[in-house]
Amino acid sequence: MTRPSRTLSREEADAFGRELDALRQEVVADLGERDLRHIREVIRVANLSEVTGRVLLHVGFGPLSFVGGVSALALAKILDNMEIGHNVMHGQYDWTRDPALDSHAYEWDTVCTSEDWRHSHNYEHHTFTNILGKDRDVGYGFLRVTPEQPWEPRHITQPVGAALLALLFQWGVGAHDLRIPDVIEGKEPFLPFAKRALPFVQKAGWQLAKDYVLYPALALGNAPRVAFGNLLANGARNLWTFAVIFCGHFPEGVRVYTEDEVANESRGQWYVRQLNGSANIEGSTAMHVLTGHLSHQIEHHLFPDIPAARYPEMAPRVRELCERYGQTYNTGSFPKQLGSVARRLLRLSLPGPAVAPRAATQVAEAAAQATTARAPQRAPLAA
Amino acid sequence: MFSKTTTASPLSKARDHVLRRLMLDRQVAFWTNELAPLHAQSGTGSCRARVGAIIQETPDTKTFVLQPGRALTYRAGQYVSVEVEVNGVRMHRCYSLSSAPGGDEVSITVKRVPDGRVSTWLHDHVDVGAILGLGAPSGDFVLPTDVTGPLLFVSGGSGITPLMSMARDLVQRGALRDVVWVHYARSAADVIFGRELAHLARTQPDFRLHLCLDDEPGAPRGFDEARFTALVPDYASRAAFQCGPGPMMDRVEQLFDAAGAAGHLKREAFVAAPAHTPSVSPGEPVQVTLLRSERAVIARGPGSLLEQLERAGERPAHGCRVGICHTCRCTKQSGTVENLLSGELSSAPDQEIQLCITRAHSDLKLDLA
Repeated sequence: MTRPSRTLSREEADAFGRELDALRQEVVADLGERDLRHIREVIRVANLSEVTGRVLLHVGFGPLSFVGGVSALALAKILDNMEIGHNVMHGQYDWTRDPALDSHAYEWDTVCTSEDWRHSHNYEHHTFTNILGKDRDVGYGFLRVTPEQPWEPRHITQPVGAALLALLFQWGVGAHDLRIPDVIEGKEPFLPFAKRALPFVQKAGWQLAKDYVLYPALALGNAPRVAFGNLLANGARNLWTFAVIFCGHFPEGVRVYTEDEVANESRGQWYVRQLNGSANIEGSTAMHVLTGHLSHQIEHHLFPDIPAARYPEMAPRVRELCERYGQTYNTGSFPKQLGSVARRLLRLSLPGPAVAPRAATQVAEAAAQATTARAPQRAPLAA
Repeated sequence: MFSKTTTASPLSKARDHVLRRLMLDRQVAFWTNELAPLHAQSGTGSCRARVGAIIQETPDTKTFVLQPGRALTYRAGQYVSVEVEVNGVRMHRCYSLSSAPGGDEVSITVKRVPDGRVSTWLHDHVDVGAILGLGAPSGDFVLPTDVTGPLLFVSGGSGITPLMSMARDLVQRGALRDVVWVHYARSAADVIFGRELAHLARTQPDFRLHLCLDDEPGAPRGFDEARFTALVPDYASRAAFQCGPGPMMDRVEQLFDAAGAAGHLKREAFVAAPAHTPSVSPGEPVQVTLLRSERAVIARGPGSLLEQLERAGERPAHGCRVGICHTCRCTKQSGTVENLLSGELSSAPDQEIQLCITRAHSDLKLDLA
């Protein structure tokens, strides 16, 4: 296991933050045609891939063209959801002022509405990353992904739950912002909930109609083959995105925070939390693009609105900073990180283990600091 | 400035809705752009055009001959908004059309402005074959449809472009009669369309051209009332059109006013990059115009624009309050702002800002409700 990050004083964290801010400004100043060329090239490949996939499924016959069609369509959906959709919706390309790359206008090929996503992901998850009780991405409301979450008997079934989530991931993502458990527990009445859920239900309806009615109907006699192919392509995309996203915050060594720990957090401390709450996956350029550069989860959480294709060149600088400030840079191969997540999900389905004392002392330290240095409520900007 | 897109019929609205819901809209946009780029939708809402030829007019001026995807209807003297990707960023500038209406091609003539991002980019990076966006032609600096009386053109520097369009239009219509043109430039080499003007002066009997050059020995620099009235004694009885630097046009205007002929003079303001708006120190009260609800509020006190607006009783959409989630993003149409993360000041029009990391340095116009 990697050694845990050193606890930084507020001053150290702010110095760390200032260095990251400087790196950020350097890249922002350098944004230009090259970034636009990259994303347009990915959009090109995604479109070519979609047409190839659909043609192979619609007019092809035999297993070979079926596998090719499913793969091409899955690739198109993965690129659309990850490198294009996720990154565009973060506002990474808003500076280009190209309407096709507008964060508030992009709609992706999945059942989750972009509106819900921008709220639950861009705002909630990226602001309150890994804060227990505030970041609903910690276990998505039903998985126990860290020992700090109290064990409950229902967690025994979580290996099965996680496997089902993997297969149906787009539905999990789509329903995430609806906070269904709140309605089940009676915290929110049904009618307002139904009103909130309507855009999701509508989008899901159109998505189902597109992949399982319209395109199959266009294929006439090949309809069953097309419907099944579309199902497999959606499923492959679900498995891939699930695997990548679970490697982002749940491998061994990633930290969670309590609300007390982050009270009066400065901009520098926000950076420290993003770093310690995320984990990278090592791989080739193609692998990074297929993950939407979420393989650079650390850089993504430090700089969520910088074009993701810049993360690989920023990573060595971030890594060097981490070494200087005694911070763990959590990274590993895809099998290593995925294996770590799987082991964790299995282990945590059972009670325990006892929470390491490290977290407890840090809570105490943070609390002591908070009382001595009361920063204004919106400290991140003051820093 | 840009023509608003005409209201779509319910049928085409329904079609667009279905296309969007089936994720086909952007596939259509992508494939149109790949296969027929001139017919792809342009951000300005009008059309796209291919650069067919580039003519170096003077050392710092180029004419771009454009082939639009569909015929452009305009009147001589009007301008278009040109959309160009400047190092990956879409930008718009208005340029007078210098061509005569009616042809398949249109042209704009662009002077390189020092520190002008768009003109510099057009000069240095746009080659034949490049594709630009064009807005709908607009402007009321136009010739009357029926030209009868004597005309006077007064231009300075690159202000010659709309007048050249008018002259070409007159020649084309066989209506070039009794025209006097006084043009001001630094030197003969700086006269845009110099050869064409000289040709007109040689071949058109009723066309008189006076070039006033700064580098002529003994001649006054720039506009000079005495010289002007000596060149065109009957100026007040002519229908006059002028385009050039502001101070020059002001003086011509005063001359016409004094002669009681203000009604004879039409003026085209140079469409230049917007000047910096008067700046205040952060926290000082500024007026923020919320364009979508056509209201104005006063923003003052410490903190970001988001905090100031909230203090003024507004509830703009927002999320993280630290600049990462882009929920509070909106378009600033005018005004000077500071980015709190980078400390950068900007007065650019039509700029995307995030309220929570922006501080006002002047009155602002925001695309907010």
